[in-house]
Amino acid sequence: MSPEMTEPEIQKVQQGIKEKYDRVAAAGSGGCFQYPTGKAGMELQGYSPELIKIFPPEVLAAFCGVGNPFSLGSLAPGDAVLDIGCGAGVDSLVAAHLVGAGGRVMGLDVTPAMVERARAHQARLGLANVTFQVGEAEALPFPDATFDAIISNGVFNLTLDKEKALNEAHRVLKPGGRLMLADMVLVAALPPDLGDKVENWFQ
Amino acid sequence: MPGKDFLALMLQVGFHRAGLIRYTGFKSSPYTEGALLYGEKLVPGQARDDVASQAEPAPALLKEPTCEPGGT
Repeated sequence: MSPEMTEPEIQKVQQGIKEKYDRVAAAGSGGCFQYPTGKAGMELQGYSPELIKIFPPEVLAAFCGVGNPFSLGSLAPGDAVLDIGCGAGVDSLVAAHLVGAGGRVMGLDVTPAMVERARAHQARLGLANVTFQVGEAEALPFPDATFDAIISNGVFNLTLDKEKALNEAHRVLKPGGRLMLADMVLVAALPPDLGDKVENWFQ
Repeated sequence: MPGKDFLALMLQVGFHRAGLIRYTGFKSSPYTEGALLYGEKLVPGQARDDVASQAEPAPALLKEPTCEPGGT
């Protein structure tokens, strides 16, 4: 967490992120991100065409990821997978397909409206091996050594305490478990007039 | 946060074989870009492998915003 942030600033960041993703949940198909989303985003990031074609358009349209965490390694049938910041659940549903009926996937998101959308998409697909719940990356509600793999797509950049979130991810992974992240990172220094703005967290 | 700083945090909390594997080309601003990061939790008795890699940013795949400026 940024040591110079005050408690009111932290609350403003958390509220701003929640409001932004409430809007994303309500808007349905993307359109509020500066990179390709939906089916086009998945195709550009190399998601398997075989997977893309089994998902209905309304599920594909909800994809707002910044990359393809599945390109970092394979999931095996029977794996237990955690999707941190699952949003509308597209990556969770991809994972559920990959781990098969003997595996299980948990999608976790801080925004209740996104979790509701994810559950609707799950119902549309009829997958029984995936569960969605509300929760925070900095306080994962799971026992130690629960998951074979953790995926996440565009979420850790929004966490206020990245070290705590990474510690939690490490805690809930089984020994040998894999962390496979797609996320936004800084590639250029923010101008001074932007660097201190609380609004940068959720714009 | 820059990718190298995030990688350092991954190593600090105990991940090994940690690396920024590549950039994705998706930009949410002129200052941020998608990246793929990987790490593993050590198996007891396993030797650490702290070799981290970091690729150069990929060419931009920036799309004109169709709504308000956004990010993730």
